[in-house]
Amino acid sequence: MNRRLVNFISLLICLFLNIVFTQKMVHQFKFENYDVAIMYCVLNLIVFPIALFVFKRDEKQSEVNRREQ
Amino acid sequence: MSEKNNRIPFDENNYTHNIHRNNERKLDRRGFMKTLVGAAGVFAVSSLPWGAVAAKELMGLSEKEYPHKKIADLNKIGIGEAVDFKFPGEHDDALLIRLSEEKFVAYNSACTHLQCPVFWVKEEGEMICPCHHGKFDVESGSPIAGPPRRPLPTIEVKVENGAVYAVRVKRYES
Ligand code: FES
Repeated sequence: MNRRLVNFISLLICLFLNIVFTQKMVHQFKFENYDVAIMYCVLNLIVFPIALFVFKRDEKQSEVNRREQ
Repeated sequence: MSEKNNRIPFDENNYTHNIHRNNERKLDRRGFMKTLVGAAGVFAVSSLPWGAVAAKELMGLSEKEYPHKKIADLNKIGIGEAVDFKFPGEHDDALLIRLSEEKFVAYNSACTHLQCPVFWVKEEGEMICPCHHGKFDVESGSPIAGPPRRPLPTIEVKVENGAVYAVRVKRYES
């Protein structure tokens, strides 16, 4: 598949995961399962660097593409 | 002279050097991806306080003891009636219901959907939330209708010297 599309879709997945984790985190917090809430919080934190990485990689790849043309 | 004007001074990704028409590239692919990354950042930052409070709660140990608080005198509450009170803090609304001569139940009255105050409807024998018509079971505090999915936190009460006291907030059983 096209690299550009892969990057784009991975970012969309990242955001989707963010939404899911946030929802779970708040619910587990309210249910007083604090350890599970912390776990979701950490997952949410991890998604951000991944998204940033995908973005940077996309930037690099498009630069390479431009030069090849 | 024109040579000089056409030169792009340095590489940057703000797209200002190739705008030919107004707003032509207002939101292109890269711009949109940038927004997505920004949103992921906002999610990350905004989940920090939840994690922090959860960690504090974990370390601060489970059964918290609050000073027992008198809710009302026994002879002031008829059977099937409810009294509002504040427990454990000054801003935590709670509801005491007398179900029979002996039996009292008390719950934190903030609806578990979006925190509206739940009230007791004597005729129907249910606790009802006015906002989206959530209903709760009096015996257990568990939600029986409407949007709420989580039971109301139970407050333990005890009867002593002709008055009802709030003892502590029960934890959820997991
Ligand atoms: S706030 Fe109680 S049902 Fe929505």
